[in-house]
Amino acid sequence: MTKPRVAIFDFACCEGCQLQIVNLEEEILNLIELVDVVEWREAMSEQSHEYDIAIIEGSITRDEDVKRLEVIRSRAKVLIALGSCATSGGVNRMKNSFDLNEVRTCVYGRDGAMPHLNTRLTQACHEVVAVDYKIYGCPIDNAEFAQILRALLVGKKPFIPDYPVCVECKARETVCRYEYDEICMGPIVRAGCGAPCPSVGWRCFGCRGLVDNPNVQAAQEVMDKYRLTVDDLKQKMVLFNTK
Amino acid sequence: MCECCNGKKDIYRPQLWTINKHRMLNGTEMYLHLDPDSGKAFDYIPGQFVEVSLAGIGEAPISISSSPTQKGLELVVRNVGGLTKAIHKLKAGDKLGIRGPYGSTYPVSQAKGKDLVFICGGIGLVPQLSFIRYAMDHRADYGSITVLIGTKCHDMRLFREEIALWSERKDITIIETIDEAHDCWDGNVGVVTTLIPRVESDLPASQVLVCGPPIMYKFVLMALAEAGVPEENIYVNLERRMKCGVGKCGHCQINDKYVCQDGPVFRWSDLALVPEAI
Amino acid sequence: MSVSTVSKEQFRSFVAALIGSEQTVVGVQAKNDKFAFGPLRRAEDLRLDYDVTILSPRKYLLPPKETLLNFQVAGDSQTVCDCQPMVLIGVHPYDMAAISQMDELFSQGEYDTHYMNRRQAITIIACDVATASANVFASSMNTATVDSGFDILLTDIGGAYVVQADTDKGRALVKKMAGAKPAGADDMAKRKAVQEKNRTGLNKHVLECKPAFLPKLLEKTYDHPVWEDKARLCYSCGSCNQVCPTCYCFDVQDEVNWDLKTGSRCRVWDGCLLENFATVAGNHNFRKNRSARFRHRLYRKGKYVPSKIGGQIACVGCGRCVSACTAKIANPVDVYNTLLENTEIG
Repeated sequence: MTKPRVAIFDFACCEGCQLQIVNLEEEILNLIELVDVVEWREAMSEQSHEYDIAIIEGSITRDEDVKRLEVIRSRAKVLIALGSCATSGGVNRMKNSFDLNEVRTCVYGRDGAMPHLNTRLTQACHEVVAVDYKIYGCPIDNAEFAQILRALLVGKKPFIPDYPVCVECKARETVCRYEYDEICMGPIVRAGCGAPCPSVGWRCFGCRGLVDNPNVQAAQEVMDKYRLTVDDLKQKMVLFNTK
Repeated sequence: MCECCNGKKDIYRPQLWTINKHRMLNGTEMYLHLDPDSGKAFDYIPGQFVEVSLAGIGEAPISISSSPTQKGLELVVRNVGGLTKAIHKLKAGDKLGIRGPYGSTYPVSQAKGKDLVFICGGIGLVPQLSFIRYAMDHRADYGSITVLIGTKCHDMRLFREEIALWSERKDITIIETIDEAHDCWDGNVGVVTTLIPRVESDLPASQVLVCGPPIMYKFVLMALAEAGVPEENIYVNLERRMKCGVGKCGHCQINDKYVCQDGPVFRWSDLALVPEAI
Repeated sequence: MSVSTVSKEQFRSFVAALIGSEQTVVGVQAKNDKFAFGPLRRAEDLRLDYDVTILSPRKYLLPPKETLLNFQVAGDSQTVCDCQPMVLIGVHPYDMAAISQMDELFSQGEYDTHYMNRRQAITIIACDVATASANVFASSMNTATVDSGFDILLTDIGGAYVVQADTDKGRALVKKMAGAKPAGADDMAKRKAVQEKNRTGLNKHVLECKPAFLPKLLEKTYDHPVWEDKARLCYSCGSCNQVCPTCYCFDVQDEVNWDLKTGSRCRVWDGCLLENFATVAGNHNFRKNRSARFRHRLYRKGKYVPSKIGGQIACVGCGRCVSACTAKIANPVDVYNTLLENTEIG
């Protein structure tokens, strides 16, 4: 049987999710036994236009990115969005709350006028092309990445949680941040990470995006119960969940 | 099995069966005929289901469509999810894991001597076939047999050859309808409920067996109530999410009933007051 | 039944010796400002004065994830049996009651060898509650004390423990407790006092009816406004399910190894509050509304599960869900009392 051809592409991102794949270390050898990696800028110099599975890292922030992603989509049988930037727009999406010209000047100063920096509203991959699977997280969890890839290779629908982080937080017996009257995104954010942040005393930052049906109506009353406000919550949401 | 199991069987371990025949019944439904690798007899009663698994992909409850009067096991698998999609790629000689049979049965003995009316919507025909075939193989045991079949469109019709053969017989009445009109179809058009007034047997005294998609039950049950069919003469065959099939995992629970053990076949009089049932 | 007394010092030496033996020793330990069951490395880490653990000892009887089978992809499978001997130290009476219920549920009907083999390999050293937790209501549920299910029951009577051994496994362990002597009348009286106090004193939330009345109460309250009223704030996060000692619903998932030829079928915890608990292939959700899922949990605890285990109520009053619920809506006593307000108590 011929191995499926896989290509990994990056758009606007920090490339940390690709790094997570590299961080699989010796397991990478298992991976390349199963697939032909035909393009992966961070790890090899070859390029290819022929692939079965395209893995997209990063958000779409320029007109030329849209065109490039459309071409990739037309060539790939399966397209996977990798990491927060690709699945939701991620941190990059924060700029959507500001005037784009101001954003350009603020970040690049006088160079902001250069044509290749002509930024547009940040979009997630699925807002531009059809996405078959989403691997969430900032960064992605490489064990989950491996599990999802193995599932796809064996012809199985991968298990991707649709329930909140609280499930995994409780399973590892982390004391809830709300018990300390602190905001945590856990109750409305998708699990799958294993809840590492609260386990070391951080809140959930919400990097996996909201669950399919978050109970946002409850926020006001629930925040009241903890000497917190909805504004506190909204402030914490912009990092990964700007609309 | 290890020493500490004390000879008790692992209820979650499937037995291997081999696919010996398969074909597509329409665009989404695949017919499979299987024989057990163990060669052992497999006893079941119409209405029961098995947990079908393809190791590595998953496991799901599937109704048995064959009758115990036939050899082997016949299943019909609709391509709806990861597991069923993978099953559709299998060919003769490939293996499936089977656990069961599980669940309640159609009233094969209590219904003896009575008229039978089957009301089938879409893939709901599949579990009903088990009892229809069983009754046809024990024809003298039952009164008249009427089968109402509603299918969404002409292309989706299941078991057309078998139904065509039955249609020519005098000892069974088949009435079919499709929801959407089609050039190749000169029969009835409309939902299955519209066929109920055409049943010639004494409906209130018949055993009425209903199986179909969730939306169908409400309307069929209303029509049966209007026709004066007592709730204890109506049987429904329900679908739920199931993981274990043996009353442990909790997924199939409808209020205090477990579909995997109390069902899938319920007497409607036992369920009419259960709010989550349909 | 044999009852002895052992000093705390002697009991600690006994635990130290157990830790050095071949079986796994699990006990209650501090975790930040809370407590949790975990493998004991040192006898002095054992905290029998704890109030409540974050998760119940269910995690050792029905692990959050367990392998049921190893398989060849699209082929045959082999049973994986996990029955390593384990001693579980510090199980409170309400958790003991929950374990006894699970024992019944997994052995009745189709016998679950995976659960039962593990259960039989576990020796339980229960202990009476020494410190009431913030939300315990075991007294309301008649589970503040326990008289069966354990191998050994400890009661802290000040400087010593009264040790009751109820099984052969328990008696064998007591024989290894150097310094244990038959309990005197004075020690027995002290034990009785602790248990009497707990029988009424572990009651931070007071259920306004006898627990045995709950199934009858719930017959009339299916459409009560409390379900919608509470569930309005429900995040469907399943925290109440996760921490509950009597929740045992599970999902089954297949995982494949890197060779894509072998893998394992795993059982993982699930929760009826989670959005897609009752969703079937094709995406029809049979329990779509938050309020229906919220109601289902309290009906399961108060009516459905009791009907399978001779009327025992499947809420043991540990109070964990009360603490775990971010929206502060999960308190079963609060809901049941609201239902009782306009209902005749028969």
